[in-house]
Formats: sequence, structure tokens, C-alpha cells
Amino acid sequence: MTDSAVPSAGPLVEIRDVTFRYGTRTILSDLSLGIERGKVTAIMGGSGCGKTTLLNLIGGRIKPNRGQVIVDGLNVPDLSKKDLFTLRRRMALLFQTGALFTDLSVFENVAFPIREHTKLPEPLLRHVVLMKLNTVGLRGARDLMPSELSGGMARRVALARAIVMEPMMIMYDEPFTGLDPISKGVIAKQIRELNDALGITSIVVSHDVVETCLISDYAYLMGDGRIIGQGTPAEVQQSKSEYVRQFMDGKAEGPVPYTYPARDYLDDLFDGGAR
Amino acid sequence: MNILQVLGGIVVNGVERLGRGTMFLYEVVAGSWVLVPRLYLIVQQVFAVGVLTLLIILVSGLFVGMVLGLQGYNTLAKFGSAQSLGLLVALSLVRELGPVVTALLFAGRAGSALTAEIGLMKATEQLAGMEMMAVNPVVRVIAPRFLAGVIAMPLLAAMFSAIGVMGGQMVGVGLMGVDSGAFWSQMQAGVDFQEDILNGVIKSVVFGIVVTGIAVFEGYDAVPTSEGVSRATNRTVVYSSLAVLALDFIMTALMLRGI
Repeated sequence: MTDSAVPSAGPLVEIRDVTFRYGTRTILSDLSLGIERGKVTAIMGGSGCGKTTLLNLIGGRIKPNRGQVIVDGLNVPDLSKKDLFTLRRRMALLFQTGALFTDLSVFENVAFPIREHTKLPEPLLRHVVLMKLNTVGLRGARDLMPSELSGGMARRVALARAIVMEPMMIMYDEPFTGLDPISKGVIAKQIRELNDALGITSIVVSHDVVETCLISDYAYLMGDGRIIGQGTPAEVQQSKSEYVRQFMDGKAEGPVPYTYPARDYLDDLFDGGAR
Repeated sequence: MNILQVLGGIVVNGVERLGRGTMFLYEVVAGSWVLVPRLYLIVQQVFAVGVLTLLIILVSGLFVGMVLGLQGYNTLAKFGSAQSLGLLVALSLVRELGPVVTALLFAGRAGSALTAEIGLMKATEQLAGMEMMAVNPVVRVIAPRFLAGVIAMPLLAAMFSAIGVMGGQMVGVGLMGVDSGAFWSQMQAGVDFQEDILNGVIKSVVFGIVVTGIAVFEGYDAVPTSEGVSRATNRTVVYSSLAVLALDFIMTALMLRGI
């Protein structure tokens, strides 16, 4: 699947030797990866391995300590605030919680980016919003408030809002977390369909192996702030690497420790005074 | 040594936050011009922080005025100058109680609500989401709220003073039998527009900037957890109340010296 024609412009996103530290903790160390145009690329890894940090770097919300984050030929950390905002109009980030504005209705949430960035006449704006809501099957829910939506519906509204400005790329931060199997299936299908119908590039960050592998063209596996495996989903699933096997099979034992580092168990239990 | 370290930490931390807050307010004010063609955003917020605060302001103003009428009459009657009650009530309200009590009530009612709202927007990633949609939350969310607070405060203070004078009149004239003509004419003759009313307005504009500024900064700077937002709300009420009382003293001193 990855061998199909790719536009000559090369990858849409290139991460080159990026190191990111939070305080003294190193989250990403010398990370390099590329996201092909028009594909669904999965970035998988355990909680806290730096996946969300990676999305924040691509979106320019944080700056790396070292290395380059190139999106469509522009090095994101070097951009001025104005240029960054111009670039952000062409990308969308779907937050884990959906991040809908709780004081606006479903309709107004989806209309928000249009109202902020364009002077579209009201009848035309209504058309665009209803079309996007129809894409996610929620045209009938336009007057509901976010508090009246289920988790899956909220995420679909957020998806409609993400595509309303027709971005070149959508980043999904844990799109399947906390959803029932039906909603998971619906979201997965929509991610794939939107990618193909709109010709956009999708990055899916997730630890949900089954759903993510089903819809992605290429997958990266992260651990300890590095890439520990990559390839088509089929290749990754058959990898013999210990790291990859532990994650894909969900084993407690393996190179990724289950136990948080602590002092000797017996000493700890019988050392009366200390906590 | 340890105590010194802790003390130093508190001072450094305080100065650092003050600096960050000032830079944040600069960003808010500098970004406000974008709102000129979108005045409805400010109007919505004036409703939220101003109109919805009106009830508590009017009720408190009425009672404060009535208490002033009672206390003032009792004291003035001892010196046989009960006719000056109108002047006393009006001056106390316009110069001090109007701006100060309004600011304190505003901090408790609207300031805490602003901090909690902005803090929760941050905790639920709404502000981050806005940033990723290439919309600056400082301009879209913070600036309208800040400007609304600065606009609403003097208006609320004026209404507080007006209804307070009515309360004073109700008690003084209606209950205690002060002559109505004396009550109003003494007030008219003794209250100076520039020195009393305008100075009161200046005070409440400053309080509006300080209280709303603290409220929006605390919300924006809150640790995005339930505990963080609750602490931030708490800080808004404490800091803005202290700031109002301290600034009131400083401004009063400056204004009296100017007379």
C-alpha cells in the first residue's frame, strides 16, 4: 500500500533528529520520521512515550530543544507567530476530548473556524456547516449543546469542525480512547473515508493497535522517545523485535518495565518509620 | 537557611508572576483592536459580567445607603446638623463606598466566575483547540472579557451609589424626618463634580482594570486540573480584594493631596 504514487514534493511532515526535554526528563531523543502525503500514518506507543508531544511539536505548540520539524517545507520552530497561524489554518488537530466549546451549540462549534477566518454570508455558511455535519452523520444534532452529546458524538462533531476549513492534514490524538466498539468503528471508518475523499494527510496517534492498524497505510511504533519499529501495519504486526512484540501482544513483561523503579521490597516493607 | 530559601522562593515566584501577568495584560490590550469590528463579542460579555451582577450590586447598594442614613443621622443629630445627612451619604458613597464595595462584590461574583470559566476552558483544552484553529485565545476569549469588566465596573459603581443615595433618603427623610429639601440641596451644593464624582469614577475604572485583569490572568495561568482551577478562583478573590483596598488608600491619598 505504501508503494502507491506519491506526489513529487516528498513527505508532508519531516521530523529530523528532534530532541525534546521537559525539565530534566527527556521525552523525545533524536527522533526522525516522515509522514507521506495523502496517507494515513499511525504513530503507536504506550502511554507517556511522547506521542502527544510529537503532535504538539508538529502543531507548533511547543518547540524542540534540538532538531527540525518540517511541515510542507516550513521549519515550524522557526516560524513567526503570524506565519505559524497561517500554517495552522491548513492543519487540524483533533483532541482526545474533542475540545468542543461548551458555551456554543453543535452548529456554532462547527461554524466557529469559518466565522473567525472568513466573511462567508450566513446562507452559504449554513450550507457548509450542514454539509460537514452530514458527513459525520450529525446534521440532526445541530441544535444540541456539547453537554448533551455522548463521547462518540462529541468526537464526531470535533471531526466536522476539524474538516470545515478543508485542511491539508488532520492529526488525531487518541481518537479511539474511551469509546464503545460501535463508536470506535464509526470513527475509524470516518478517518479513512475523509482521508481518501478529501485527499488529505492523516496522522493517527493511538495505543489502540487493532483499530489503528486497520485504517493506516504506514505505522511507526514509539517507545522511550524513539522509533522502535516501522513499516506497513502487516510488517509491524509480524516484527520479531522484543519491544514491538511486547506492545503488539500487550505483555506485561518485556523491555518496557511494568514496575516503577523502587528500593528493595523487603527493606521497604519492614523499614518502620519512613513512608 | 531553609526559611530564607522558602522566603526567597516566595518573593521570586511572586515577582515572576507579577511580571508574567503584566506582560499578559499588555498582550490583551494590544490585541483588543481586532475586536473593533466585532463589538458584539464585548457586548455579550458586558451582559455576563455586568448585567448578571446587577442584582447583588443594587440590593447591597440599597442596604449600604440605608445603614449610612441611620448611622449618619444618629451622629449628625448629636451636633444638630442632621440636615447635612444628604451630603454625608452622597459623599461617602460617591467617593469611597460606591467604587470599593462594588469592586469587592464584583470580584466575588464576576471575577471568580471569569477565572473559573477561563480555567476550565484551559483544562478541557478549549483554549488549545482554539490556538490550533489559528485563533488567538488571548484576543478571542480574554480580551472581550477584560474590556467588558473595565466597562462594567464604573457603571455598576454609579448604580450602587445612586441606589445607595435613595436608600439613605428613604431612611433619613422617610423614617427619621430629615427635611427633604435640606437633604437634596445640601447634597447638590456640597458634591463637586470634578473632585468627588470624577475621582470616584477614576477609582472604579482602576478597580475594573485590576480586578478583571487579575481574574483573567489567574484563569489563563491556572494549573489545568480541578484543584488548580479552584485554587486560581480562590486567588482571584483574595488578591483582587486586597489590591482594591490597598489601591483605594493610595488613590485617596493622591486625590486628597491634589485638592
